[in-house]
Amino acid sequence: MKKALYEFYNYFPFLKEIIKRDFKRKYYKSILGVAWSMLSPLLIMIVMTIVFSTLFNRSIPHYPIYLFTGSLIFNFVFDGATICMGCILGNAGLINKMKIPNYFFCISSVTQSFITLLLSFVPFFGVCAVTGVPLNMYMLLLPLLLVLVYIFTLGLGMLLCAYATFLRDLNYVVQVLRRACMYITPIFYPIDIIPEQFRFLWELNPIYVYIKIARDMCIDATLPSEKMLIVGTCYSLLMLGLGVVTFKEKQDRFFLYI
Amino acid sequence: MSEKKVTPVFYDESGNIISSSETLLRINPENSSHGSSKRIITPPRQISEDVSVDVNDVSVMFNLSKNREEGVKEYFINFVKGKLSYDEFWALRNINLQVKKGDSLALIGRNGSGKSTLLKTIAGIIRPTRGTVKVRGTIAPLIEISGGFDRTLSARENVFLSGAMHGHTRKYMKSKFDEIIEFAEIEKFVDVPLKNFSSGMISRLGFAIATCVSADVVIADEVLAVGDARFRMKCEERIKKLLSGGTTFLLVSHNNASVKKLCRKAAWIEKGQLREVGPSSIVCDNYAKFITGLSAAPKEPKKSRTAIE
Repeated sequence: MKKALYEFYNYFPFLKEIIKRDFKRKYYKSILGVAWSMLSPLLIMIVMTIVFSTLFNRSIPHYPIYLFTGSLIFNFVFDGATICMGCILGNAGLINKMKIPNYFFCISSVTQSFITLLLSFVPFFGVCAVTGVPLNMYMLLLPLLLVLVYIFTLGLGMLLCAYATFLRDLNYVVQVLRRACMYITPIFYPIDIIPEQFRFLWELNPIYVYIKIARDMCIDATLPSEKMLIVGTCYSLLMLGLGVVTFKEKQDRFFLYI
Repeated sequence: MSEKKVTPVFYDESGNIISSSETLLRINPENSSHGSSKRIITPPRQISEDVSVDVNDVSVMFNLSKNREEGVKEYFINFVKGKLSYDEFWALRNINLQVKKGDSLALIGRNGSGKSTLLKTIAGIIRPTRGTVKVRGTIAPLIEISGGFDRTLSARENVFLSGAMHGHTRKYMKSKFDEIIEFAEIEKFVDVPLKNFSSGMISRLGFAIATCVSADVVIADEVLAVGDARFRMKCEERIKKLLSGGTTFLLVSHNNASVKKLCRKAAWIEKGQLREVGPSSIVCDNYAKFITGLSAAPKEPKKSRTAIE
């Protein structure tokens, strides 16, 4: 444990540099650059609002924000995990030539998506102001939620990465799963449309737990229920534990496959 | 382990053959890949203070699957057929080496003999299948030319990225920055993306970074081959300066002349096994004789072999 912490401290400058590099690379030769991180979630939200508002607008108050919270968290989890999944193969050039703790690439991938998520909160609060959702003190709890989602995504990313390095098909499987999750998670529809007896199944979905917490804070301006917070924390820690254990077990054989 | 085992020959300073008692006494667990019960546990050995790189009975195995399964479907089909077999390929076998602090060792041998694998194992990139590698202090590995560079970034950014990979802070790298750029002679191209650099320029930059930052062990794999004669001389001077400062230097090279000039010792690896270790002049000459013998001898019927470097 002490050794791991020492290693982390030792390579921390590398983490900073690699995050910087990934960030630069992401907007390499794009004119609007960083602005896309704010613009694209906004545009997607507008498109989805137009498409789905006739269906659900009347039953859900503040529909644009309802949709925005859902899609921000959902997309962060899957974007982060997907980028993380390919990070070992993508950085094969470095891993083959230097001794760097492999998990640093996972942290860097997820952090990169996390920065995008943070930037999307600029249009988020903009939409809040435009559609008349008042700011409230419970929004101050958002960072706590973001930390939980970050930990969850890192765990998921590491788990997928450990296997995707051996089995490249996993990329395609995850894309299909992402689409499926998109529909089973109440992002653009209210959970009320699910029959009462099946609703508990929907509430088991970790991504929905995080989205629900965010909606409680932002739209309903209430403190999220303790049960939700505890379940969310458990999901995060379990996922991280699973990811780290799997990754650690598999990483010694990475060099044979990259 | 189908190949017959070669006992390495050790030479002392004056060129006499010595039988290293340590190597002879240690029992090599030849069959330990099949059953761990047969493994003879050797007591943890004492490494004296002045040893900087200690390679203890290292073996590295690669699975050479003939048709590498990269998809679930193929994997599944082969799994059902029971054909998930691999060809075991031992890239390194029972390597024992010790390099003292401030010493310089060259690894020589033919293509595919395992030189680069050994360097990567020492650098910690490959974990040995068996055996242990211990390195005292920090390592600056220079493996292949563009090791760890990002071609879309400028030289300036690459210096910091590469420095960070060695575990140095931005502040430290800033203090070394001018020295690195000056040594690499790329003052005019500091902010040009690396993809527009010539291979010589990239290798110069790599060499400059690895040797300007302080490291206890510098590992160089074929990096001197790219530079022109003048830069090679400059590099040789730099290496000599490092060696006098107590840095340990490991080199892989096919150039016998520069091996003799730069390294006090040499280790000859043949088919993943250590063949000779000793003063570089003796080992290099024996190796050169072996190569001439090979090309002069009538060709033996070719066996298909795959090699990993």
